[in-house]
Amino acid sequence: MFSTFIVAFSFVQFGVAAFTLWWMLHAWRTPETLASTRFTVPDGDCGLSFSLLVPARHEQEVLDHTVSRLLESTHTDYEVLVIVGHDDPDTAAVAHALAERAPDRVRVVTDHHEKKNKPKALNNALPHCRGEVVGVFDAEDQVHPELLAHVDHAFRSCDADVVQGGVQLINYHSSWYSLRNCLEYFFWFRSRLHLHASKGFIPLGGNTVFVKTDLLRANDGWDQECLAEDCDLGVRLSSQGAKVVVAYDSEMVTREETPGSVVALMKQRTRWNQGFLQVLRKKDWRRLPSRRQRLLARYTLMTPFFQAFSGILVLLGFAVALIAHVPVGVALIAFLPALPMTATFLFEAVGLHDFGRQYELPVTFRHYVKLIVGGPLYQLILAWAALRAVWREFRGRKDWELTKHVGAHLAVEAEAVA
Amino acid sequence: MRLSGGLSSRGGRLSGRLSGTLSGRLSGRTERIAGWCRAHPDALIITGLVLLVVAVQGVNIANFPTVSDDEGTYLAQAWAIQHGKGLAHYSYWYDHPPLGWIQIAALSWLPEMFDHGSMVVMHARVIMLPVSAISSALVYVLCRRLGMARWAAALGVVVYGLSPLSVTMQREIYLDNFAVVWMVAAFVLALSPRRHLWHHVAAGFCAAAAILSKETMLVVAPALLWAVWQGSDKATRKFSLTGFLSTAGLVIAQYPLYALLKGELFAGAGHNSLFGAISYQLGRKGGGNIFQKGSVSNLTLHWWLVRDPVLMYAGTAAVFAALVVRRLRPVALAGVILVVVGSRPSGYLPAMYVIQAIPFFAVCIAGLVDEGMRVLMLERTREWLRRFWRWEVPWRRIDVAALSGVVAVGLIAPVWQTGDATADTAFANDQYAQASAWIREHVPDRAHTRIVVDDAMWPDLADQGFQPGLGVIWFYKVDLDPAVTRTLPRGWRDIDYVVSTTVIRQDPNGLPTVRQAMEHSATVATFGSADQRIDILKVEK
Repeated sequence: MFSTFIVAFSFVQFGVAAFTLWWMLHAWRTPETLASTRFTVPDGDCGLSFSLLVPARHEQEVLDHTVSRLLESTHTDYEVLVIVGHDDPDTAAVAHALAERAPDRVRVVTDHHEKKNKPKALNNALPHCRGEVVGVFDAEDQVHPELLAHVDHAFRSCDADVVQGGVQLINYHSSWYSLRNCLEYFFWFRSRLHLHASKGFIPLGGNTVFVKTDLLRANDGWDQECLAEDCDLGVRLSSQGAKVVVAYDSEMVTREETPGSVVALMKQRTRWNQGFLQVLRKKDWRRLPSRRQRLLARYTLMTPFFQAFSGILVLLGFAVALIAHVPVGVALIAFLPALPMTATFLFEAVGLHDFGRQYELPVTFRHYVKLIVGGPLYQLILAWAALRAVWREFRGRKDWELTKHVGAHLAVEAEAVA
Repeated sequence: MRLSGGLSSRGGRLSGRLSGTLSGRLSGRTERIAGWCRAHPDALIITGLVLLVVAVQGVNIANFPTVSDDEGTYLAQAWAIQHGKGLAHYSYWYDHPPLGWIQIAALSWLPEMFDHGSMVVMHARVIMLPVSAISSALVYVLCRRLGMARWAAALGVVVYGLSPLSVTMQREIYLDNFAVVWMVAAFVLALSPRRHLWHHVAAGFCAAAAILSKETMLVVAPALLWAVWQGSDKATRKFSLTGFLSTAGLVIAQYPLYALLKGELFAGAGHNSLFGAISYQLGRKGGGNIFQKGSVSNLTLHWWLVRDPVLMYAGTAAVFAALVVRRLRPVALAGVILVVVGSRPSGYLPAMYVIQAIPFFAVCIAGLVDEGMRVLMLERTREWLRRFWRWEVPWRRIDVAALSGVVAVGLIAPVWQTGDATADTAFANDQYAQASAWIREHVPDRAHTRIVVDDAMWPDLADQGFQPGLGVIWFYKVDLDPAVTRTLPRGWRDIDYVVSTTVIRQDPNGLPTVRQAMEHSATVATFGSADQRIDILKVEK
């Protein structure tokens, strides 16, 4: 009875870990897959007009830099809408200064909601958008000047409704968890999202995401009650059969920074997890046409919870297998989940190497050690965030715990340039 | 299974033209079958070749070659698995990783479908036919993936499956035959034209299965790694190699993990151990210099050469020569490693060692012929030859093929025909079958009789109703396994019969109890003659 439980549990864990690993490596399946994850080279036409939304809240330190970069874009037809809160004069001052500097490009939209969050800010700006395509950036994003031209081309050549560009955390050197956090983004945007795009179910990212304005308006914009409004929008658009294109170019990615502390990381993760839970409960994914898509949706939205506890549960499984006197065969099976997990560690190390290569960042032996040693600790943070998310959702607490940005990725950029 | 892009598209155009002329005459169903055949010429060739190999290897499989003690051992260990008695019929001592006889056990339903004759080992050999069939098919696919033409790939299979040496060795229930299937599969996957990460991971799994079937396959691993390197794209190579290595490593790690969980990883008093067994196998007395007349290794080599000098000489030359051809290099390296390791001066060289080298010999021979043909057909070659010949040399592919066909048939066919005819007609195991039948008839109280036999006979007598392990005793265990010795308090007096065969008479380990039992006994029946003789000895107490 006991043995049966261990065997069944180990097989499930093995399956979860193996599937997750397999999906994590989607982009590297064949050289052709890898080539197809890139943007195609633009033809030079600027066929579409863009409205770029930049919600900013207490981000006066980074906003100017971000919008200035946006204004360096090679695209000819776009506008930037900076959304500031009515209670945030510092950020508003920076925004208005920018609007004065480039009156034909930058406009400021003020959000008057009492309780503020990102989807409310975005919805506030949606009626003001003049472009055919709405793009979202965060106030601390580092956007490549040629990104818009590439996105424009991707929309036209693929007849897309949505284009998701790559986002990459870049300050891997800041702390032990930022290294893992950077790598998580790397695998997600470099690889996993492409799988979702090809399967027709995609939880979109929070920025560098571009949607046809009409489609967005027809769907009443973002869900203001959802803590993962980006994921929710992706799920809703997927279930309507919208064509989503994901493209990743290390040159073209939007560079971001990791949360400034472990607590901030945990809060951010709690919000995402709770958001995923909300999206799961909203059941929009049930309208996906095929069973496989619905399964993928269910699995993806529940992944944080699977993943959070798999590490702990597997260790528990080993311990039970060793302490309780089970037959050798059963003990061997109890160790089965360790196979894909060990392989995951190895692939993460390879991913780190690739990350260093692509971004021309010095990755040393120290970083590999950090990556491996930090793994279990990081897992603990994720587990705690998952628990918190369930607890908060259960208690009905749906307020927005914002992550503060200090601009650590800008320093990396400067170092890399120097 | 996709072989290679360029060739299949050429076949497609051809079949389009053919179907235009034929479709009028053929009715619906025939047309469908014919269409399928035209679309899958490789499948058709594989089917034909596999049937041929299975037919030649299958005829007379039970009677030639002589049943070997090792076959009996593996079969007995498979018997233990099948009957839920653990990994071996005596305590498992990590002689080899157990995957080989786990596969034998998995195939054990096969012999029961056929006539269950008097000798278990002889009839169990049927299980080797699917193994040969799969490996032959894989050799064909491997040749194709190395860029060879169909006829060259077919040549590879013919050499691999029909050489008298192959016919002899691939029939026997050896772990090496299972390991070869997995290793060739690993090469096939490593060189997959799609360069898919999944294929490289699967190659790692197959490599692990090969090594866990027969640990000596480990020496080929560097060549396989090279094949994965060559078979992967620069952009995804890092991931392919990681997938390959981590899968292989993690699957193989299950074996030491098993030993660790049983508390048998490290050597210690009173229990078997993995490390103990490894140091025993590595320290095994060498068979002397392979090139020195009279050494044990030289005798083994001589026996292989008697079976088929063509494969041995041509294969050895081919693996070295094939290192020149870029696409053949990994496979050639595998062959070279096996040749070098086999001819090291002081190593132990088991008779079945050659089985591992045969696929690489065959593929390299076929690959060189293919390459030779390719070079011969080049315009450059003709131009170069014109410098020596005043007249035109307008040979076509068909001329070269016909000429080499005649040469091959004239030189090689007589040797192989004789060898294969022996394999398909000789009766080398009559004495075993007769001895087994005699025991069935003349030993009445089988449940309470203790009989010492070699392992070739062991599965048979276990089947006849002797108590497995302690009633029918594998002769090594009488003196070497404390668990068996303990049950013989009066030494040789507790033994009733000894079935004396060549292996027992050689008494390689100096087994005192067995020797004493043989000295105090009378011969009650004899089968066969001279060296291969089997005596049934009744111990006189």
